Amino acid sequence: MAKTYDYLFKLLLIGDSGVGKTSILFRFSEDAFNISFISTIGIDFKIRTIDLDGKKVKLQIWDTAGQERFRTITTAYYRGSMGIMLVYDVTNEKSFENIKNWIRNIEENASADVEKMILGNKCDLDAKRQVSKERGEQLAIEYQIKFVETSAKDSLNVEYAFYTLARDIKAKMEKKQEASNPPGARSGAHQLRANEQQRKPTSWLSRCSVL
Amino acid sequence: MTNATIQEIEGIDDYWGPAFRSVYEGEGGHEAFVQQLDERIKQHDKEIEKLCNFYYQGFIDSIRELLQVRSHAEELHAEISNVDSNVKETTESLCSRAEELIRARRVELNIAATIEKMELCLPLLTTYSKLKTQVDAKRYYPALKTLEQLEHVLLPRVGPYNWCAQISADIPRLRQAIRDASMADLRDFLENIRKLSPQVGTMALKQTQDMLGRSLANIVKNKKDSMLGISGKDNSGAQCPHELVDFSPLHRCLHIHSVLGAKNDFIQYYRAQRKQQARLVLIPETGNLHDSIQGMKSYLSAVLGFFILEEHLLTTGAGLVSKDWLLDTWSMSVTKVASTLRTSTSLITDPTLMLSIKHQIMLFINTIKCYGLPTDPLPLLLQEMAEHYTEVLMQRWVGVFRDILDNASFLPIEVENQEEYDGVMDTFPYDGDELETQPFPRKFPFSAMVPAVYVQVKEFIYAWLKYSAGLGLGGGRRAAAARHSASLLLSRSFTGCLSALFRRPLPLMQLVQIIVDTQYLEDATSFLYEFISNITGSELVTTQAAGSMFQSARDDAEQQICNNLEKKVDEFLDLENYDWLLVEPTGQASAFVTDMLSYLSGVLTSLEQLPERARVAAVRAATNRIATRLRNLLLEPGVRQVSSGALHQLDLDVIQCEQFAAGEPVPGLREGELLEHFAALRQLLDLITGWDWSSYLHDVGIEGGKYALVTPRDAATLLEKLKEAEQKSSVFSVLKKNERDRRKLLDTVLKQLKQLQNQDG
Repeated sequence: MAKTYDYLFKLLLIGDSGVGKTSILFRFSEDAFNISFISTIGIDFKIRTIDLDGKKVKLQIWDTAGQERFRTITTAYYRGSMGIMLVYDVTNEKSFENIKNWIRNIEENASADVEKMILGNKCDLDAKRQVSKERGEQLAIEYQIKFVETSAKDSLNVEYAFYTLARDIKAKMEKKQEASNPPGARSGAHQLRANEQQRKPTSWLSRCSVL
Repeated sequence: MTNATIQEIEGIDDYWGPAFRSVYEGEGGHEAFVQQLDERIKQHDKEIEKLCNFYYQGFIDSIRELLQVRSHAEELHAEISNVDSNVKETTESLCSRAEELIRARRVELNIAATIEKMELCLPLLTTYSKLKTQVDAKRYYPALKTLEQLEHVLLPRVGPYNWCAQISADIPRLRQAIRDASMADLRDFLENIRKLSPQVGTMALKQTQDMLGRSLANIVKNKKDSMLGISGKDNSGAQCPHELVDFSPLHRCLHIHSVLGAKNDFIQYYRAQRKQQARLVLIPETGNLHDSIQGMKSYLSAVLGFFILEEHLLTTGAGLVSKDWLLDTWSMSVTKVASTLRTSTSLITDPTLMLSIKHQIMLFINTIKCYGLPTDPLPLLLQEMAEHYTEVLMQRWVGVFRDILDNASFLPIEVENQEEYDGVMDTFPYDGDELETQPFPRKFPFSAMVPAVYVQVKEFIYAWLKYSAGLGLGGGRRAAAARHSASLLLSRSFTGCLSALFRRPLPLMQLVQIIVDTQYLEDATSFLYEFISNITGSELVTTQAAGSMFQSARDDAEQQICNNLEKKVDEFLDLENYDWLLVEPTGQASAFVTDMLSYLSGVLTSLEQLPERARVAAVRAATNRIATRLRNLLLEPGVRQVSSGALHQLDLDVIQCEQFAAGEPVPGLREGELLEHFAALRQLLDLITGWDWSSYLHDVGIEGGKYALVTPRDAATLLEKLKEAEQKSSVFSVLKKNERDRRKLLDTVLKQLKQLQNQDG
């Protein structure tokens, strides 16, 4: 049976309640925006397949509730994630300050090599801005994480953010594969697997990380 | 002797015979007698002589005297002639005067006669001139009376004069003229009342309204107003509506015609005209009555005015309008009115307009009643309109509900302070005892949609009751109808809006909230009923079970939840990445399965607000979907080969699912119920992995067998895949003995299965 994708990346969106995680996901998965705020209860996910360097990459993006009371449910999803979007609201100082706490959360719960990215959302609301782009940049550099300001409403940088994160994950994965693989058999784990009787640890690895 | 005979002759005048005889026969013969006779003559002569001598003197004296008389006579004659001439002279003038007098007398007599005649003619002439002036002054009825007098009394009395004949000839002409003129008057009158009848109707309606609105307070107020002179209303106008119209031309005309002996014709004519007018009145002037209340008002006024006037004519008698005719015309008209109103109102979409129209029709009905006319089928019309009104209201509220739902967040209401809390509690009946004790922010279990809809339903009831007010329905019936409409509004309009909402996919949480919300709304219907009975003043009726009011919406929502979960399951299963030629199973369940199961248990816990039924349905749908998808995966024709390693991996995953299913993820499930979804798959896996072909083939077709759910086709399909995979793996290696046996067995089983398949057809 033909596989519908080459890679499956599990991504996670975290950040304070109301910073726009669901909106970002909604923009990315449906290319739409809803002004009314509906807080996420527990956890939800959306799947979108993107094309990266000729590879079909399925992104299963988990959207977590920012509210404290769902913390126990949401942290369970950290471990399986291969990429985490840390979202704050540029019009909300507190949400920005809390990014540090979220990073600590990641350190405590996620696997060590998880790819991260900081998003300063709602950058369209310039008049209400409390956190400058420079401060965001500063923080990102401090933690050696990529940073971009986004607007789910204006569809600004949302695609870019996800593609960037996905690309970074893919690069990291391919690097790992190459490290543990004979140089002749780079990438194409599925084709290899389809042709060879022997189970390759490469394909195992890619699936392992899915777990 | 001779002497005696002479004596005898002298003594006897005649009968001288015997004397002559004696003479003739006597002695001396006849000489003696002649002698004696001579002697006798001589004697007489002597005597005459003596006598003449004696009287001669006297004679001479007499002649002398006579001669004297003659002169005297002559004298007298002259005198008399004289006198005569004198007289003649004097009488001549007299005679002429007398003649004059005679002539004068004759003239006088003539004059008297003429005067007499003229006196006879004079009344005729004055009457005639009176007639003329009357005609000129259009006082036709007196004119006609005069005419009659002229014709029957005066003319015969006067006689056959030429001018009389002329007048006589003129009479029919005049009569016709009068008739024509009165007809013209009638036409004017008809035209006039056509113009006036709307005013008449308006006035009557107004009076009815005043009468209906009559209460002690109003009367006192009016009295005060009039005393203070506030009401500047001129009371000079008519007191009764029909007084607006001057009926005199009509009555005159009627009188004229009855005088003319054409009363019946006239009545026929009048009725025909009025019937025609009625037809005109019945066609609304504006055409579109539903455009404005004004058109409706004037239409009803016109119709009403028409019949008020007719009714007035009926009561004032004269036979112009009979009860039968009036009722007949009325029943024709009222049917037409009803149908006109029906068509007009059926197009109205504005409830306010409908209310005012209903008010107008009510007034109309009441006024009609006052005038003793039957109101059918107008009450029926009002009922039909009530239904239409309900429809219109519902349509309007569909819009309201749609707005509410479109803008609804379907999140539980969270209040920050007492004020907000009270705001919610004021609008919606909720037993907040438990919530009362919690610190702010407090959270209601329902979303803002619930109080909003509740308030709107109340608004709807208010609006709905506005129509039924004054319809003369009892409180109980009104309340029942209001309850019916309100529950119809909720169960049909609102549920319809909800269903429309479900046409687009909604997030799970919103669906859950909608179900919860409908529960609260449903619970609140008893409060709505209480509200209805309060404002209608009727007894509270709680018999009607509102339980299933939103059932269809809830079913929709539950279906959506199921669909939602199934979709999520599908998304997970789309991530499936089985290596169908896997040699060794990993010993762990596949990632997507564990993810899926943890996701599902997470979701199912967050569905705890849902009624048990819905949660059970959701988890059933999800598990069923998982089982079906996994089974399909295995039997998928696109997957050609399946290694036993892969089979074990799948078995591992199914075990995970079965554990989830057995773990009773939501309460209210039958023991082992969810596991049944996996039963078919489990039996298939057990059969293949356990290599238990002998018992399968033995039990096949037997009810309740260990592998009863495995069809020979499925078994064969999977076995083929297994065989393919084994052939592939052993293509380069030499088969060991037991492998050969296994291959043999496999072929036998396959053959058997094929046979079974063929048997089944």
